[in-house]
Amino acid sequence: MTDNGSQDAVIIERSFDAPVDLIWQMWTDPEHFAAWYGPDGAAIPVAQMDVRVGGTRLVCMEMQTPNGVMQMWFTGQYREVVENVRLVYTESMSDENGTVRSAADMGMPEGHPTTTEVRVELEHVGGSTKMVMTHVGIADNSPGAAGWAMALDKLAAYVNAQSDR
Amino acid sequence: MTVDEGRLSETFAALANPTRRAILARLAGGAATVNELAEPFGITLPAISKHIKVLEQAGLVRRGQRAQYRPCALDAARLEEVSTWAEQYRPIWEARFDRMDEYLRQLRPQRKTGQR
Repeated sequence: MTDNGSQDAVIIERSFDAPVDLIWQMWTDPEHFAAWYGPDGAAIPVAQMDVRVGGTRLVCMEMQTPNGVMQMWFTGQYREVVENVRLVYTESMSDENGTVRSAADMGMPEGHPTTTEVRVELEHVGGSTKMVMTHVGIADNSPGAAGWAMALDKLAAYVNAQSDR
Repeated sequence: MTVDEGRLSETFAALANPTRRAILARLAGGAATVNELAEPFGITLPAISKHIKVLEQAGLVRRGQRAQYRPCALDAARLEEVSTWAEQYRPIWEARFDRMDEYLRQLRPQRKTGQR
């Protein structure tokens, strides 16, 4: 299902026709970040970013639903900050005060990581910027996670058997 | 949250329950009627029906049309979609970077002279 055999990460490489420092700002300047991060129709009314190692971030995604406005909050910490080169931060769902809410609390299965890590690597290539974004789950070893993984393994085997027919 | 994310939450909510996962594991071995599914779990028919309805709404289980038995079967397509959280995030990120690209295009006239 994945091209690299790793099922626990999203790795996307893109090239942008823009200088490295501008791409860096896309991730670290709240105004720029809000312009692209939210899905269509969503707003990013809050994007607090204390971009230094150990600094925290708090992002609010707001969208219209048939049941009214829905807000989703995300918090995290910067782990690596090398301007125009490498940015690493964690991300978890949270409340508006930045208190982490577990994936299970949010209706996700136990095996869905509560905390994920986003790594952005930038490189100046010719007149453009090569960006590699890696999104990985940080494993939590709850017993539930194992049960979930086992159930999925069984089901995956079934799915594969179906597609081999 | 995109439509896909909403659908994903629904599927995950359905999968978050151990009884429902066990039902799916049982169905992985072949289609079964509600009665057959209820037996090993020692729960009432209405209770098992409720679980099956949740799985059906989440697109994980299909039910046959025969009024009497309406056997349940696993719907593999949806499971394939949700097999890892990471695969679900990929289209979200791809869409984000498409928007980033578009946004950079909009900024371009303003930074003509400011480029390093």
